[in-house]
Parts: sequence; structure tokens; C-alpha cells
Amino acid sequence: MSRTVLRYFFDFLDEQEKWLNSMAKCGYRLKKCGIMTYTFDECKPNEYEYAIEFVGDRAYSKAKDYRRYLEDMGFRTFTKNINWNLSYGKIRWRPYAKGMGHISTSPGGFNKELLILEKKKDGKPFELYTDVSDKLNAYKSVKRTYVWAVLMMIGLSAITFIPNVSSLSPAMTWVLRAVILFFSILFVIPMVKYFSLVNQLKEESKTFD
Amino acid sequence: MVYIRDNIKGGALTETTFLVLLAVYTPNHGYGIMQFIENETNGRVVLGAGTLYGAINTLVKKKWIAPSGNEFDSKKKEYVITGLGKQKAEEELKRIVEVWKLASTIIKGDRIT
Repeated sequence: MSRTVLRYFFDFLDEQEKWLNSMAKCGYRLKKCGIMTYTFDECKPNEYEYAIEFVGDRAYSKAKDYRRYLEDMGFRTFTKNINWNLSYGKIRWRPYAKGMGHISTSPGGFNKELLILEKKKDGKPFELYTDVSDKLNAYKSVKRTYVWAVLMMIGLSAITFIPNVSSLSPAMTWVLRAVILFFSILFVIPMVKYFSLVNQLKEESKTFD
Repeated sequence: MVYIRDNIKGGALTETTFLVLLAVYTPNHGYGIMQFIENETNGRVVLGAGTLYGAINTLVKKKWIAPSGNEFDSKKKEYVITGLGKQKAEEELKRIVEVWKLASTIIKGDRIT
């Protein structure tokens, strides 16, 4: 029996990973995922475990090479988006990527910002990074993504204050602002969380290096 | 917090680097490298897949190891140590032997007295 669940995670890393693992604990194994849906097959409880890796800051060819490597390591992999596909164009700029940012083009890295990895539970912890500086870099790129999401929200709300920019009535403009504020908060919460995680790891790296 | 980093001119490799180099004296793929390290250190060193990926790519960039065989092969990608890599590994062995000699003289000497 398969089961499809509708979900969206604003905290796409930790919360999504926790949720997939709790599903696996109850005997559901991920079969495929869509933009906002997850399809599960029934399996034995506690048979599989999941880890999520953010690859949206890598060029498509590099993300693909990494995925192939992980498949070779014996993990089952899925790709997943982090945002709704709201843009009409086929090109999306990813300001959160390193340096000048990468342009992601369909059908490449577009909507494949995350890798979901599955392995059979073997009693060993499912750790992708066993080095503090690697862990730090992984969280830093996630943090950077949230910073950009929040900046975009600030930009959007700034636009609504430009006079005569839209034909919306004043009341509707306030509704729009409320919606933007609502989503900003949903991005700010994980942003704050990853900021503090990065700071924690920085402290740790001082003692271990 | 006072912490001590390795001396710049000391030339020590990180343990991860040295172990990866040793794992590819015969051609080996990612999973094999991971297994080799875990087995040979009796589980003392277990590398995460992401960390190992970074280590492999860094060593390929430095030309200490190189992909072996056909890259477009459907088989798992294998890596093998290069001449330069062997040279680095030999230097590291020499350094470790020196440190070992020094440590064993002093530590044993201390025990006798």
C-alpha cells in the first residue's frame, strides 16, 4: 500500500529529516517526492533512516557528480526542491550560491536543491560529515539561503510602499503586506536557528582543530 | 581557550589525508576507501560520506591521487595514488617514525627510572 502525504517544510533541513525518520520509524519508506508531496511504501518499522543534504549552492554538474558518488556508496537518493516553483522563466538566479551566485537552468539543478539520502539502519549513526569544518560549511550554506529568503521578503514588502506601483486598493495592499510578513517570519525562524548552529560549531572548531 | 595547531613547516598530513592515500595504493572506489579506513583503524576512524567526498576531491585537485580507468564507465569511479602522492606518503611515514623514535626513547626512559 502506498500513501501520499502533503507537506511543506520551511525548515527544510532538520525538520524535514526528523519527519522522514519518524515516518520510517512507523514503517513508511519514501518512494518518491514531488514539489509538496511525499509518497511512501509500507515497510518494516525502523528499517531505514534518512539524511538530507543541501546541494543548492553547487553547480549542477557538481551536484550530479556528488549524487552519483553517494549512489555508489550504497545510498538511495532523491532530489527535492526547497521552494515552490513560482517563476515562469526557465532560468533562476541563486543568490545564495557561492561567489557571484550560480544561474540554475532547467532541467538541471532547478528544483533539486536538496538530496534526500536513504540507508538501511545498521546501528551506526547516519553522519555525512565527520569533520567540524565540513559540518560548519554545510550549515553556513543553509544559513546563507535563509538570509537571502528574508532579504527577498524585505525587498518585496519595500515594493508595496512605492506609491502607484500596483492597482491594489489600500486595504488589499495591507493584506498583501500581512501575507509577506507572515512568510518572512516563517523564514526568519529557521534563519535564527541556523545562525546559532553555525556559532555553536565555530566554538567547537576552536577546541578541536 | 588555548589550542595548539600544527606547525606550518612541520609538514604533517592530517590523519584523514594519510589514510585516504594508503587506501588507494591499489585502485579503490569511495565505498572501498571508507571500508578500508574503518577496518584498518578498527573503527577508530569512521569517515562520513560527505567528508570523504571532500577529501577525495581535494586530493585529486592536488594530483596526489587520480581517477583510474574510464571516467564514463558505468562502473563505480575508482581512484589510485599518483607518484606525487606516494612521495607525500613516504615523507609522512618518515616523519611518523622520527616522532615515534623520539617518543619511545623518552617515554620508555621515564618508565625505567
